[in-house]
Amino acid sequence: MTGVGIENVLVSLVLAAIALAIGYFWKVPVQKNMAVGIIRSFIQLIAVGYALKYVFDLESIWLILMVIIVMILVGSHASYSLSKQVRGAFLISFSAIAAGSLVTIGSMLILKIITFEARFIIPLSGMIISNAMNAAALTINRISSDIRSNSLAIETALSLGKNRRESSRPYRKQAVIAGMTSILNFMKTVGIVALPGAMTGMILAGAEPLEAVFWQLIVVYMLLSSVTISSVIAVELTTEKYFTPYHQLKSKI
Amino acid sequence: MSETNRSESQNPILKAENISLVVDNGGTPKNIIAGFSFDFYKGEIYNILGPSGAGKSSLLRLFNRLDEITRGKIYFNGKESSQYNPCLLRRKIGYLFQTPFLFPKTVKDNLHFVDSSLSDDKMTSMLSEVNLGPDYLLSNVDVLSVGEKQRIALARLFALKSEVILLDEPTSALDEKNSSLLLKLIKNKVSAGGIAAIIVIHDPRQVLTYNGEALLIINGKLVEHGPAKELISQPKTESGKSFLEKDSV
Repeated sequence: MTGVGIENVLVSLVLAAIALAIGYFWKVPVQKNMAVGIIRSFIQLIAVGYALKYVFDLESIWLILMVIIVMILVGSHASYSLSKQVRGAFLISFSAIAAGSLVTIGSMLILKIITFEARFIIPLSGMIISNAMNAAALTINRISSDIRSNSLAIETALSLGKNRRESSRPYRKQAVIAGMTSILNFMKTVGIVALPGAMTGMILAGAEPLEAVFWQLIVVYMLLSSVTISSVIAVELTTEKYFTPYHQLKSKI
Repeated sequence: MSETNRSESQNPILKAENISLVVDNGGTPKNIIAGFSFDFYKGEIYNILGPSGAGKSSLLRLFNRLDEITRGKIYFNGKESSQYNPCLLRRKIGYLFQTPFLFPKTVKDNLHFVDSSLSDDKMTSMLSEVNLGPDYLLSNVDVLSVGEKQRIALARLFALKSEVILLDEPTSALDEKNSSLLLKLIKNKVSAGGIAAIIVIHDPRQVLTYNGEALLIINGKLVEHGPAKELISQPKTESGKSFLEKDSV
């Protein structure tokens, strides 16, 4: 099956109806969310499909760049909304996501893994940015709560002559690990527990399994790169917010 | 050494010149330390006395530069403390918190935290200085009692080889036996090492055991100071009398 049309999608709504029916009879308290989710995902994805078709057909560099910037801004806002307790969280998220995404996409272009075409850049950027966004939000929250809850340990290290980087080292490391856990776990189980989305999509669309695997490997390494860069930058920038230039822990932030 | 003789022959190791600490208290400024001035000399113990919230611990934090002074100047060894690298200054002016924190995992790790070049022999002798046997070196800090932790933290502080040590109520969590042991250690270190010890004390009665100088701080201000025994038995100011009466020394 390589050609799929709107009629197939409409038929597949039967599956959604089964889920709704089960929810109704079992009195699962998420029926409203399920119904909204079905309609919302339908509208959002159809809209994105048309938007992508327009961008792909136009093949304008500026339009591609604009789409990437909008995706980074939306991702930064989503990360910020999960870590509002940190002052400057939007700028931290933006810097982390932008650096992780642009370095990764840029490297892929330089290494000629992909060419500057909308059909490569936009879907890959989407994957990169959403993963970088999750990593940034996780690391900002983790380092922030660890610094707050370990102020005695950090101030003890400072009082003994350690600088702010040395004093916060164990917490910075843990936060980076927290940001990378998802991709590390994914890499452990990829292909064993489940076939990943990009690969499944390609196989369904009629691609050779081995070609799908090669693309999936590129995606995995690409995500590892962007998540690592975003996690490290998010941790470093957040840590800086908690210290003064004189290696003092700020009491209020 | 009397104060007059000492000031002629020796410069203060630590000097506070009209220092203030003002913090934001829900939109209104609050004076934690208000115009505090004092000279501290090596070879002396200084007892900082005062009611809760008087600014005693805040003063130690300013000396260790964990907080920044709002006004005034602090001099260490004749040079303004802001001219020093803060991390270097903190090694020269060591600080033991009221609740000492020990890093994971072993006692050895804690001593290496301040000086990674310390040999096992050196560390063993440092432990004996705080009355702990050599077998403590590889002990996990989680299994130690409060008194043992306090002594390890003190050994770690001594490992810095500071010229001034700041101790915030070092015996508050200890029983009488451990308190007097710690007191003896600090006194020995001050007289042998030629350092200055500035000790925050909650209970004025303890001043008599430490002896040395006493400074009474109320509302962030130095109300009076003098030889410990004198200040405790015959306070000169009304606020001093009132504070000491309340604590019925």
